This record gives sequence, structure tokens and C-alpha cells, in this order.
Amino acid sequence: MTDVTVTAASDIEIDREALDASIAEFTGSNSGYYAAAFHKIHESSGAVPLTFNLAAAVLGPVWAAMRGVWGFFWGFLLLEMIAWVQIGRGAWGDLGADIFERAERQRERAAGFLERADQARQAGEDPARFETLAANLTKAAENSQVAADAAQAEALSILIVGLVLLLLLKLFQGVWSNIVYEKQYSRWRIDPDHVESGLKPRNLILGIVLVLTIAPLTVYKFTISGTPDFLNSFPADKDHYVNTANWLEGHIDAAALGGAGAFDSIVAAVRAVLDALTIALIGTPWPVVMAVICVVAWRAAGPRVAIFTAGALAYIAFLGYWEISMETVALVGAAVIICVSFGIPFGIWFGKSKRAYKFAEPVLDLMQTLPAFVYLIPIIAFFGTGNPPGILATIIFGMPPVIRLTALGMRGVPENIKEAATAFGATRWQLLRDVEVPLALPSIMAGVNQTILMCLSMVVIISLIGGGGLGKVILEALQYAAKGPGLLGGFAILFCAMVIDRIVQGGFRRADQK
Amino acid sequence: MTDPAVKVSGVWKVFGPRADEAMAAIKAEGLTKPEVLERFGCVVGVQDASFEVPRGEIFCIMGLSGSGKSTLVRHVNRLIEPTAGTIELLGQNVNDMSPGELRQVRAQTIGMVFQHMALMPHRSVRDNVAYPLEIRKVTKSKRWAISDHALSLVDLVGYEDRLPRELSGGMQQRVGIARALASDPEILLMDEPFSALDPLIRLQLQDQFKALVAQLQKTTLFITHDLDEAIRIGHRIAIMKDGIIVQIGTPEEIVANPADDYVREFVQGISKLKLVKAHTIMQPLEKFNGSLEGAPRADEGADLDQLIDISVDSDLPVVITESGRDVGVVTKPRLLRGIQGGKE
Repeated sequence: MTDVTVTAASDIEIDREALDASIAEFTGSNSGYYAAAFHKIHESSGAVPLTFNLAAAVLGPVWAAMRGVWGFFWGFLLLEMIAWVQIGRGAWGDLGADIFERAERQRERAAGFLERADQARQAGEDPARFETLAANLTKAAENSQVAADAAQAEALSILIVGLVLLLLLKLFQGVWSNIVYEKQYSRWRIDPDHVESGLKPRNLILGIVLVLTIAPLTVYKFTISGTPDFLNSFPADKDHYVNTANWLEGHIDAAALGGAGAFDSIVAAVRAVLDALTIALIGTPWPVVMAVICVVAWRAAGPRVAIFTAGALAYIAFLGYWEISMETVALVGAAVIICVSFGIPFGIWFGKSKRAYKFAEPVLDLMQTLPAFVYLIPIIAFFGTGNPPGILATIIFGMPPVIRLTALGMRGVPENIKEAATAFGATRWQLLRDVEVPLALPSIMAGVNQTILMCLSMVVIISLIGGGGLGKVILEALQYAAKGPGLLGGFAILFCAMVIDRIVQGGFRRADQK
Repeated sequence: MTDPAVKVSGVWKVFGPRADEAMAAIKAEGLTKPEVLERFGCVVGVQDASFEVPRGEIFCIMGLSGSGKSTLVRHVNRLIEPTAGTIELLGQNVNDMSPGELRQVRAQTIGMVFQHMALMPHRSVRDNVAYPLEIRKVTKSKRWAISDHALSLVDLVGYEDRLPRELSGGMQQRVGIARALASDPEILLMDEPFSALDPLIRLQLQDQFKALVAQLQKTTLFITHDLDEAIRIGHRIAIMKDGIIVQIGTPEEIVANPADDYVREFVQGISKLKLVKAHTIMQPLEKFNGSLEGAPRADEGADLDQLIDISVDSDLPVVITESGRDVGVVTKPRLLRGIQGGKE
């Protein structure tokens, strides 16, 4: 045991020497100044410790770059740009130049009309019409002239505003820089390898280059009217676009033609699932289907949801949406069945193999982030239009959640339970069936629920590529701006979604409670 | 049938992607652990472990966390593959088994109990206990009967249809023990089974377990980080440190003759009263010159606790007898030093 001397908390002093040495290591040059500044910050108990860093105030973003405080650099570079643009406009700007030009144009046109009035008069016609026009234009030109003069007169005030803003920013940077720098020092102590420290020439050069490219061009663009074209819009060559698009189109066409057999069989398989569901939902007499849905709602989610379901079904049926709603449900159902039957095995695989998941993750991200409209086009190219391609589009959007959550659930199965099963001689299949899947089940169920909701939200969009169901009603109403039918159809979709969601959630909740 | 239940010879375990290279280098150059870590980025988990466990013995492996004891025991049912060395179960080499044979052995010959119970939360207590039988495709009526019997062995009758989370920690661990016993294995592997329990429950379970194993005649490898537990339960104890078995011996041997400072430090806090026997602390009769007139007598197998009781009633030293013959003397100073732990 080492000897411990007992000291009152108020008498404990920080080890200045060690702290100063560490600060010196962090700051590199000028460590004396920063040691003092940091001490002052450490001693202060107020909200804003008052230190003033002259270098930071004068150099601004360049100081920040030199010290590697990049957040500070970008923030104040942006703010200083605003100030500098004001100063530029005030000092050299051709304020009101565009308005002045307009006045000139109006004057010219007025002169033109006066001329035509003269001609008319010489031709013995009535010049009054042209004269009125000329008079109006002259008046407008005078107004524009006044506005242009006023704008020019504003120059001084803009200049002053810019200067004041710049001064304030400089003051602010002077006061704030040390506080930010001290925070960076604290972070550096935790992670010296990844937090920038010291004075690095590379940072200084980078900062100066950035300031020099950003600042003059921006100020120039905002200050001078009539800047060269290449500054206003990117000098893009239209040929690149056309060529690339043509090339892509050619390849997509070729691929669609080449893989026609495969694509057709996929469509046929999807159609088979959809047809089976359609027969079950539409082919069966409507009283049977309605009764079954209400009973399922009651068993799965209780009497309140059952009553709500009955009401929703009545709305749909009385407004004549029954068949088309069932088509929607069949579409969603087919998409969900396919998503789940492929998604869960994929999820299990990705849950077990880290490497597979690493490859799959960007694809899953893409499937979820890509706007639906983007992949509708290749889907038309490869699979044509109608319900089955619509289901494929729905699957792209709806499959990721069930894959992700299955994988998450698989990874969450405690190692020790798996080890125990292995220790009692379980095969890999027994391990999967008896331990991993049952323990991952809550997560898998959450994934299935998410997938159902995603598919529901997608089912309207697929009407764009010829998908049927309630989406078509909405799309037609949209095309003719028909408010009444649109609203009625919208509510029908809402009720379909709510009924499915309530039933599924209710079912899962009961499963969870078991 | 004279093969020991478990025979571990020269087992090494090196963790890391370059384990085989590292192992070759260790054998050729005799590298130390830090050198292996530096050169190959490999961690040596178990270093040249050898021991034999005869049938029916409770063999404790004691060590602190990170000493490699759990790693070592997982070699026995090959949950971990050894980098070098062999493990024999009842004369059969575990390393040579095919996956099918290995599963067979795991299901029938070995029962394992885990520190954190590792029960399946979605199965009832009965189905948890029956799981090893279910793996072997035993019929449901049979496995229910066996699991009910196993549960009765650990005093859990009436809890068969509960879920594990409805049971307390101690009861859950008893379910774990019942599960290990369900397939009537020859060998039990206990991986710190009582460490996560509170002290009173732990004592209770230790006694229960000891009685149960004695009754069922199971060979047991018992992992623990608690020397008290090892002494209470084990017939023999192996002490591990940094992957090396430092000492193997009976509780008395270890307490009386610690092999090195590390073991000595452990043993210091252990009460010797019930462990150290008279013959270890006595001095030979012929070296004693004094009066033994009317001195009390005790058998050489008497422990310190009994010797204290005897010598409290008398001012004379205690004469130690071996099958009725006087062989030695325990004087008061020797007794006191013996209680302290053999300090000279």
C-alpha cells in the first residue's frame, strides 16, 4: 500500500507542470500563451470565459485551419463571406445596375412606340394607341430609374452593415476561439491519434488555398453584375448526357431481350401467387370474406378492432370499392408473402455471416433509399407493366426491414444459450430450429410488421406502372383533379391499411405476451 | 474399464489467426506469452495442460478470471479445438471423433452446466431439462418421464411447467444441473455453476450438489474462481494461472504445501481447521523429550479442529497414534503454527 496523505478538497491543486507540458505538446508553437489561456478557461466558473485571441480575431478562418479546428473554420468562413459580400457590394458593387438596365430598355421601347406613332400619323391613322403605350412605358422607365437611384444610394448603408458585421465576427472569433481550442484539447487528451493538434504546415496551406478559392470568387460573383457565364452555370456538355443515356438505354434493352425468359418466369411466379390470393379474396362470396376478416380481427386484436373492422368494411362495400379493395389487399398480400419467404432466409444468412451482411448492407440501403420512381423505369423495361411488376417494385421497397430485423434478431441470440445447445450435441439445424429462430422470433415479427406497412405505402405508387387496386382510383382522380372520388378512394386505402395494421399488431402483441 | 474418465495431455490453446505458426514457434523456440502476442498477435489461452481424472472423482479447476480454466474445460467436449495435445474420454480420443460421434458423446457422455444457466427462455422447465434427450430423438413420453425424475433429484418438483424466468437464480441453476443429469452422462462439466448466485444459496447448492454427485457416482470437472468452493467440493484441485496449471493436489496438500507464492497467497485466507490433519504437523515421538504422562491421544487423521478441542482440556501436548501405536507429538506451539498455515 502506498501512503495516502489526506488533504481537504479545497486545498487540492492541479499539477500545473504536467498540465502545461501536455498543453505544450498539444499546441506545438506558442504554448505559453495557450497554457495561460487554457488556465483562465479552467479557472473560470462563468458561462463564457473571457480570453481574447488576437491571432484568431485577425486571421479568422486561417487561424482555425492552421490549428486544425475545422468546424470553426467552416462556420466562420461562411459567416465572414456574408460580411465580405456586403462590403464588396457596398464598395464596388454596381447596385441597381439591373434595374437601371430595365429603365434603359423601357425608354428605348417608348422611343420605338413614339416612332410608330409618328409613322401612323404620317400615314393618316390614329396615333393615340401608340402614344398611350409610349407614355406608359416612359412612366415605368422613370419609376425604374428612381428605384435604381435608390439602390445606388443604399450602397453606403450596405457597406456599413458589412463592416459592422465583420467587426462583430472578428470580436466573436477572438473571444470564442480559445474556448473551442480548449475543447479540442480535451478531446485530444482522450484520442491523441485522431484529434488534430499542433501547427501543421499542411493544414495552413490547405486553409489558405480554401480561403483563396472560395472567398474571391464568391465576392466577385455577388458584387459585379455581368460575371462571365462559366461562373453562373457549370459548363456542361449536353452530348455527354445524350451519349450516356443512349448507351444505358441500349444496354438495358439488350439485357431485357437477353434475359426475357428469366424475367418472364419471375413474372409468372409472382402472378401465380397473386392469382391464388385474388381467387381467395374476390372469388369467394363477399359475405364469407367479410365474416372471416371480422372474426380474424376479433380473435387477433379483440372486440374493439373487430367493430372498427366491420365499420371500415361497410364503408368500402357501400361505396362500391369492395372488389378493388380486395385487389389491393391481394397485391399487398402477395408482396408480403414473397418478401417474408425470401427475406427471412436471407436474414438468417446475414445474421450468421458477417461477411455476407457487409456485402448486403449497401444493397439493402439502396433498396430503401432509392426513390420508388427511379426503379419503376427499369422494372417496366424488364418486366413490363401491370400487377406482377408492381408487386416486384413493392418487394424492392418492402423486403429490407424483414431482412434487417431477422439478421438483428439472429445476432442477438445469446452466445451462451447457443453454446449450451451445442454442448448437448445439437446439430446446426437443431440449433437453428430450437434456439436461434425461437429466440429471434420477436425481432423477426417486428420485421414482418414493418414489411407489411412498407408494402401498403407502396401499393398506391405501383398504379403508375399499370398496377390495379385502389391506387388506380387515386391516380385517375389525380389526373382529372376529381376531388370527390379522390377523397373517397383515399379513405378506402386508409381503412384497408388501418385494418391490416391493427390486426397484425394485435396478433403480434398476443404472440409476445405468450 | 481402467481408463480414466478424462485424460488431458499436453493441451495448448493459442487464439488468433496465426495460431498454428505461433504454436510451431513456441515448440521450436520456447517463446513466452508476451513474445507470442508480439510476434504473432496470438493469445495463449492454455499452456501445456495435463491431468487425469479417475472415475467418480470431483476434480476442481480453480483460477481467477482470464486464467484459462473455462477455455480448458471446453476442450473436453471440444467446444474449443486444441491447438496441440490430446484429450481422451473413457479411453476415446476426442480429437479424432467425426462430427457425428462428437455429437453422440456430447449428448450421452457429457453433461454441462453453465455459469449463466443458459436456459432457453421460450421453453418450460421440463422442456429445457428434456432438450438433450430431444436432440437424441427420445420419445416425448420417455423424455418427460426422465426430465421429471431429474427435476426431482434437484428438488424442483412442481415447477415443471413454469418458464425459466419465473424461477429464482438458484432454482434456474438447479434446472441447469437437472438438464445436465437428464441424459445420465458419465461426466459432468460444471463451468462456474454457482458463481452468479448469492452466498447463502451458493453454500446450499454446493452441499446439495456434492451429495447428489456422490450418490450418482458422476465424474465431475468443476470450474470455480473460489478456492473455498473448490476445497468444499473437490477431491482434487488444479490451480491455474495465466493458462498454466500451477499445482494439482488434494485440498490438504494444496493448503499445507502451496507450490509457489501465487498459490500461497490464495491459501492464506483459507481456514485450515478442517483440512490439515495431525500427521502433517506432528513431530516424531523420538524427537520429543518431555513428560507425556497422562497426555491426551488423537488419531493421526484428526484435523486441527479436533486437536484444538483435545488440547484445550490439557496442559500437556497431544500424542498422535497410528492404528493404536504412538507415532508423534503435537505440542501447543506446533498446533498454533499449524493453524496459521505452517509458518516456521
